[in-house]
Amino acid sequence: MANPLRREVRQLYKNLLYLGREYPQGADYFRERLNCAFMKNKDVTDPKEIRKLVDCGEVVIKELGTLYYLREYRTMKKRFYEEELLGLLNIGRPID
Amino acid sequence: MASRVLAQCVRQLPRSSVRLSSGNFAVRTAAVPVLFNPRPLSFIASSQRTRWIEQTRISSSVGVFCRQYGDLPPLTIESIKERVMYVLKLYDKINPEKLATSSHFLKDLGLDSLDQVEIIMAMEDEFGFEIPDVEAEKLMSPQDIVQYIADKKDVYE
Repeated sequence: MANPLRREVRQLYKNLLYLGREYPQGADYFRERLNCAFMKNKDVTDPKEIRKLVDCGEVVIKELGTLYYLREYRTMKKRFYEEELLGLLNIGRPID
Repeated sequence: MASRVLAQCVRQLPRSSVRLSSGNFAVRTAAVPVLFNPRPLSFIASSQRTRWIEQTRISSSVGVFCRQYGDLPPLTIESIKERVMYVLKLYDKINPEKLATSSHFLKDLGLDSLDQVEIIMAMEDEFGFEIPDVEAEKLMSPQDIVQYIADKKDVYE
């Protein structure tokens, strides 16, 4: 594997691991899935393919970030607003 | 004049030690186990000198003037090695029987480069400081890790 790409893959894995610690369904679950996902693409040698996969990984990082942000937003809203007002604003739906 | 300065210095020295041992201010001027050089003291008035000699009590708790700050116990190579091995034994992909200080992660223990990333992350958590990727790539055995941490934390033996 080309060296700068190797470093980027490592960095990606590390970032995803750090983010996965707070995953709502469990850090272990996240780690397993992450490992599987990385192992599936173990034998890819084409740098363009690797670059594409790394970009996919970055998108996942963004999604996780938004997920956590949304979760935080929702809990804060629930804590500081009363029930009726929440109903009016349609926030704090039972999806979380 | 020199004697006065010297007397002042000598008087100031036991103050810190007295705070450590007790609040007894009668011992203040006299808890000096170290400086009993008779030559400069001969310039001091004789009454003072007799007072010094009477009141000299060597406070046993203070042989060395030291201040005690709150901190973790100092690291030794042994303790670092123990902690590193302990963390490695807890990792589920490693067989604890095969683990030795010189076992290579990729070759001997059959791990993956991704597993090595996880191991380095666990070490970062254990020792509380970040290991940059450039240097983390090179740490391929427990001995390397111990050496690296000892270098970073200034632990020599």
